[in-house]
Amino acid sequence: MAEIRIKNLHKEFGVGADKVVALEDVNLEITGHSFVSIVGPSGCGKSTLLNILTGIETPTNGTVEITSDGHVAAPGYVFQAARLLPWRTVTDNLMFVQDDRSDDTKERCQRYLEMVQLGDKGDKFPGELSGGMQQRVGIARAFSIEPDVLFMDEPFSHLDAITARALRRELHHMWDETKKMVVFVTHDVGEAVELSNRILVFAKGGRLEDDIQIDLPFPRDPADDEVAVAKAHVLRKFEELDLLAS
Amino acid sequence: MTTTDTDTTAETPLAPRVTEEELARQARRKELTSRWFWRILSYVAVLAVWEFALLDIFGFLRGTPLDPKLLPGPSEVVATFFEIWGEGTMPAAFQATLTRIAIGFGLSFLIGAMIGILMQSKWFEGFFKDAVLISLSAPGLIWVLITAIIFGNRPLGPTIAIILTTFALVTVNVSEGIRALPKDLIDMAKSFQVSVFKRNRQIVIPHLAPYLFTGLRFGFSIAWKVTVLTEVFSSSEGIGFEMRISAVLFDMSEFLTWILAFFFFALFLEKVVLEAIERRYFRWRQAVTAT
Repeated sequence: MAEIRIKNLHKEFGVGADKVVALEDVNLEITGHSFVSIVGPSGCGKSTLLNILTGIETPTNGTVEITSDGHVAAPGYVFQAARLLPWRTVTDNLMFVQDDRSDDTKERCQRYLEMVQLGDKGDKFPGELSGGMQQRVGIARAFSIEPDVLFMDEPFSHLDAITARALRRELHHMWDETKKMVVFVTHDVGEAVELSNRILVFAKGGRLEDDIQIDLPFPRDPADDEVAVAKAHVLRKFEELDLLAS
Repeated sequence: MTTTDTDTTAETPLAPRVTEEELARQARRKELTSRWFWRILSYVAVLAVWEFALLDIFGFLRGTPLDPKLLPGPSEVVATFFEIWGEGTMPAAFQATLTRIAIGFGLSFLIGAMIGILMQSKWFEGFFKDAVLISLSAPGLIWVLITAIIFGNRPLGPTIAIILTTFALVTVNVSEGIRALPKDLIDMAKSFQVSVFKRNRQIVIPHLAPYLFTGLRFGFSIAWKVTVLTEVFSSSEGIGFEMRISAVLFDMSEFLTWILAFFFFALFLEKVVLEAIERRYFRWRQAVTAT
């Protein structure tokens, strides 16, 4: 079971007068099969937090531990853009991030392609696929290494509303089936409410302002009363914090 | 047989439906045919004028009739082509020229690529920038003459002339390719803990390949011309040398034959060899443009 433990996390950029605090004294624990969304306005430190979690940046102070059953957890990533190698086929793009080329691995890649409805597109090049299909390949790639934790950085923000909705459903289904932990960064409160069982609200200046549990059953329909109420609740939090700047 | 025939007509009383795809294919075929028709027509027109009228036209322009020996028609040139081919001098001449190109351009490619890599540093960029610019803009003839004067008919002359005229094309392309390295893909590979070796083999090299190929293609076409030119001035074998000999002997039929052979070989390299390489290695790009 995966665990993320963040203690007294502090991150600053620059020195002297140019000093900017990106994250201020963040304490946090995430365990098990959870879907955690990190929401907040631009500049609230959510990307910085993700970069620290994924090891791209190091904290100024504090500790971050990501473990799974006592050992270091294996992470998977889905980016804002699909980031596929245009000169490799869909299957080879999945194989690119694998440690070996055994038949088992190939079979596993095919299984995840089928999970994102692209089982018959393995021989296509990314350029032959639509944006939504490319992002699906990106999701299949992240799942195909069977990571303990999945980090996703606004993976649906570039897609049209209908495609994004279809992909959210698939993602939820995969999360449910694989029992992975997902840490999902988004600026879309509706998306966060639809997918997560926990929402972390960050405020400008990098403070963790609120930690909201959402215990509604899945799948969640945005038109559903309870889901709409939950969304309104989170948005009200935003307003209270005067975060709805735009 | 007849029964099955009537059966099918009974099932489809209307004329067989033509699918949209079929229509598109027909239109494409028609377009291709007409394009080829005009292309071939241009060859036929040029050859006909050359064979039947060019001598008179030039004679008229000169004011005095032109000696037919100075301008043999295409039929005579083709006859001479087979004559020379039969003698076996042609493969030998091509071999000599191509060996020179292979050595000269091979070295040039390595040097050009190396400079392109070095030029990623500010200091080396400053150091090489003007040299690259000069190599790109100076006419190849300059280097051909200089190397001919210095090296005479030693094989080093053409090699150096080829390097000086072509390395910059490779440098510019390599340098541009490195500058455009896909950072997002490399970061992706790093976060998935893909090894450096695999990153280079599957991201850096495929990314640079089209740039290298462009350098190769343009560089080769210039190397080809420069080599023949060096042979005209200072060599005792190769296509350029054969051209010089026939020109000196006023054997225009032979001279034009060598030009014809040169032309066909260049066309073969461009249309068959290079395009085959392109089709083989850049299939993903065609797949992209096809959609």
